Amino acid sequence: MKINENSRRDFLAAGLMASAALAGCSSKNPFTPDELGEVKPSGEMVKLLSVDGEVIEVDKAFLKPVPDLPSVSNDDARVGIPGKKFAMVIDLSRCKSLKKCQTACNHMHHIHPGQNWIKVYPMQESEKTAPYWQPTTCMHCDEPPCVKVCPVDATFKRKDGIVLIDSDRCVGCRFCMAACPYSSRVFNWEEPTIEKEVAHQPYSCETSVPQKKGTVGKCDFCPDMVRQGSLPHCVSACPNGVFFFGDILEDSITNGSETFRFSELIKDKAGYRLMEDLGTKPSVYYLPPVNRNFPFENHESEKAEEKKS
Amino acid sequence: MEKLAENKIIEDLLPQKFGKQGVIWVISLMIVCAIGAFAYARQLYYGLEVTALRDYVSWGIYISNFVFFVAISLVGSLITAVLRLTDVHWSTPLTRIAEIIAVSAIAFAGLIIIVDMGRPDRFYNLFTHGRLQSPIIWDVIVITTYLFVSLLLLYFPLLPDLKIMIGFKERNGKWLQKLYEFLGSFWKNKPAQFKITNRAIHILSVTIIPVAFAIHTVTSWLFATTYRPGWDSTNFGAYFISGAFLVGAGGVLIAMYVFRTHYKLEKYITNDHFDKMGKVVVLLALIYLYFNINEFLVPAFKMKKSEEEHLMGLFTGEFSPIFWFAISTSMLIPILILITKTGRKPNAAFVAGILVVVGSWFKRYLIVTPTLLHPFLPMHDVPTTYTHYFPTWEEWAIAGGSLAGALLVITFFARIFPIIPIHETIIEAANENLPHENV
Amino acid sequence: MKMFKFWLLPMVWIIVFTPAILVGQTADKNTLSLNIKYFNDYNITHHLLISAKSKIEGKFQQIPNIPVQVFISSDANKANLIGKGVTNAKGVLLINIPAVAQAEWLKSPNQNFIAVSPATQKFEEGRGELTITKAKIKIDTTAGHIITAKLVALVDTTWTAIAAVDMVVGVKRLSSILNANETASYPTDSSGLVQAEFKRDSIPGDAKGNITIVAAVLDNDIYGNLNAEMVVPWGKYYTYESNFDHRTLFARRGHSPIWLALLAYTIVVAVWSVIIYLFFQIKQIQKIGIE
Repeated sequence: MKINENSRRDFLAAGLMASAALAGCSSKNPFTPDELGEVKPSGEMVKLLSVDGEVIEVDKAFLKPVPDLPSVSNDDARVGIPGKKFAMVIDLSRCKSLKKCQTACNHMHHIHPGQNWIKVYPMQESEKTAPYWQPTTCMHCDEPPCVKVCPVDATFKRKDGIVLIDSDRCVGCRFCMAACPYSSRVFNWEEPTIEKEVAHQPYSCETSVPQKKGTVGKCDFCPDMVRQGSLPHCVSACPNGVFFFGDILEDSITNGSETFRFSELIKDKAGYRLMEDLGTKPSVYYLPPVNRNFPFENHESEKAEEKKS
Repeated sequence: MEKLAENKIIEDLLPQKFGKQGVIWVISLMIVCAIGAFAYARQLYYGLEVTALRDYVSWGIYISNFVFFVAISLVGSLITAVLRLTDVHWSTPLTRIAEIIAVSAIAFAGLIIIVDMGRPDRFYNLFTHGRLQSPIIWDVIVITTYLFVSLLLLYFPLLPDLKIMIGFKERNGKWLQKLYEFLGSFWKNKPAQFKITNRAIHILSVTIIPVAFAIHTVTSWLFATTYRPGWDSTNFGAYFISGAFLVGAGGVLIAMYVFRTHYKLEKYITNDHFDKMGKVVVLLALIYLYFNINEFLVPAFKMKKSEEEHLMGLFTGEFSPIFWFAISTSMLIPILILITKTGRKPNAAFVAGILVVVGSWFKRYLIVTPTLLHPFLPMHDVPTTYTHYFPTWEEWAIAGGSLAGALLVITFFARIFPIIPIHETIIEAANENLPHENV
Repeated sequence: MKMFKFWLLPMVWIIVFTPAILVGQTADKNTLSLNIKYFNDYNITHHLLISAKSKIEGKFQQIPNIPVQVFISSDANKANLIGKGVTNAKGVLLINIPAVAQAEWLKSPNQNFIAVSPATQKFEEGRGELTITKAKIKIDTTAGHIITAKLVALVDTTWTAIAAVDMVVGVKRLSSILNANETASYPTDSSGLVQAEFKRDSIPGDAKGNITIVAAVLDNDIYGNLNAEMVVPWGKYYTYESNFDHRTLFARRGHSPIWLALLAYTIVVAVWSVIIYLFFQIKQIQKIGIE
């Protein structure tokens, strides 16, 4: 099919637009499709077939699985994704401790066996109050006590609200672990066992992979996934839709199948944050465990008791 | 008469070669250090995996040992500076003992904190990427400062003694002679030199007090700037400093006794010194007891949920044996011993000093570990080994090695330099011989 | 004796390894299923998602590292190969439909895709097929914040309106669509149309108050995934002031609060000038001694 010069340029522009959309929310402001955001064209063009059956050329950098995803520079990783402020909502009324979130997170981040970034706590405030399951991630606090105490900028708060760790910087003093009231941090006590396919990956604080001996690790809100236009692993892994993730500057939050307006959801369901009295201002909100349509069954404690007896 | 006394003083106080006991002592310390070094080599190779530290108890006896070292180093400022500024003269023979304890303890405090780091190879990051907001950076700054101030405070009063020692060329041997000459060949006992030194010592005595307060207050802030039950306390700085003065004074009691009996210094470190140091220790123990009551009674009165587990663990739970052991050995029993006149005799005071130091070491352990075992959210989703802490042999060896190392530094210092200031003792003796000033 | 040893070794070898080889070849392999999904991206480009799954220990699991070849048309021969790759850590492979597929794509309004994976050490060979009908959504707005979207599909050679297909209409958000109002989805009417009133008052938009509205068909058996988007000035501009560059206790190096920096530097300078002064005093003592 022949395209004259004019229509060809139109196609190209359209193609670029579309693929910027493909690249997802990664980089560009979703509201301004006329701006391509910060994904820089690679100059290498790929010939694709349009829906209408015409051949169009698209820059390789805008393809969805960017063939060699240019890893984010350390400087960019310390600033964050521009124009975003991420938040998570965890609906306690849906959690029955299937721990798919934990499995997915451990698998994708190659976490040391036995350690977890996501923990699912059996909670019961007092004898007569209701027991419930409470999954915890890193709270990505707006006034993070862990960041306050880090002596070397190894853990830092980004513009987009994410608290990350730079394992190439961390000196392993573990002050952040003592400072975190949510016990969300883990330490690589020994040389991590790195699978073959991970070992060659260049380290980035956005992927947190591969982990490094003698440094601290924790939930990172999967900024690498977000850059690719996907949701964090725990969110997409949960079959009950417990985890919602979104950008509060868009006032929207999604678990993959349902999307809510963040402010309305928090208002309607009386959302709250953990340990508000500490003044840490977490980015993770909880919806109370009300109207559950399944009983609280703690097989873990039963198992533990069996072991004891 | 005076001249004779002077020669006798010099003869008595010059550093002596190690005797048989000394050699055994040094070799055994070296063996302990070597075991510690081997354990540390293992830790460097395998990572902190070799310790019993895990995600919940992420700080263990390395950190409690660090706090212990910082604490004991505070004694330098107490004996030399506080007593000097208040014109108390009986402490003169003890100043150098106190200063060398301070210097070696603070040096090993710095080392043990590197041992605790997961990535000691990145130690330089503290300087190239240091964040002023972090209490660790404050600690790095004040510890370095304190080390320098202490070294200066050790050095200035040493100058006249160096001149005396340079006079004993044959006794010294080649290397020591070179060292003494390098350090003090320019000292000519000129009045102008004395004037500068006295002024410098005075300036240092004033400077070292706030710096000493800073090192231990900042060390307490490493804990108190977190939210954890047992650490989240506004009392912490004062609590740490009072405890530090106590353990340091206890350490001085031990050192006094050991140097006195080993080097036969009964004329210089007299029963009277033990009597006075004993009283000082009683006072310091009472102050520390006061802060302990503050630290435990107030939260125990309220029994906030987060504090309850922690406090009950100490009072009646798994840590209660160590807790009551530490409270009684570091405070109650030493007070009971030293409050009586017979208890302040050298032998009894020595025992009390040991009790104070040992009890204080365990007290530091209790400050660090039990808190970490009582996080806000219950310990969960971790292997069972993560939910309790008992140090591994590597940790004991490294902690023991660092303690032995500090003792070794003190021992070698006493071998090279007079552990009791010769020049100042001569001056004091001369003053006492003047009838008018005796009144 | 020596001869005996010589024979013993291969014997042991055979005894130990024969059963292992046999078991390894027969029992351990799992079946593998490949699932293809078709995505039309804003009526411009389109791609396929191939996910590899297998039932292991009674549970379906996504299988990474499966080499997959994808063909257009119902014939898996080399001429129709449009892409190949390896499933990622989540067991998914994405194939953009390339220019080489043009001839086959233009042949018919229905399109067939086949994904094939060869047998690997752990899995038997896998195969998946998908047939879709070419369709697209046209999105527009009418007065009063009404979003209209029309679904058309290719029937023979003409684009024809399609009724009774569920369509989602809303505003585009982070990897999701926030519904335009309480209704989750609308079925298309006989003219292929849906109408949705946009009720998300003062939803945040860009600096000009623009938002992107989207109409989408999700996971339809016949048409796959389709969507169309449009920019409308229905949002509200919110300023968000990040404290990233503020001087706070949790800011980065060089951004400590002024009071802290002042306090710290004053103390450090004061104490260290004393220390340095005293070093000069030592020099002074040396000077006096040498005179």
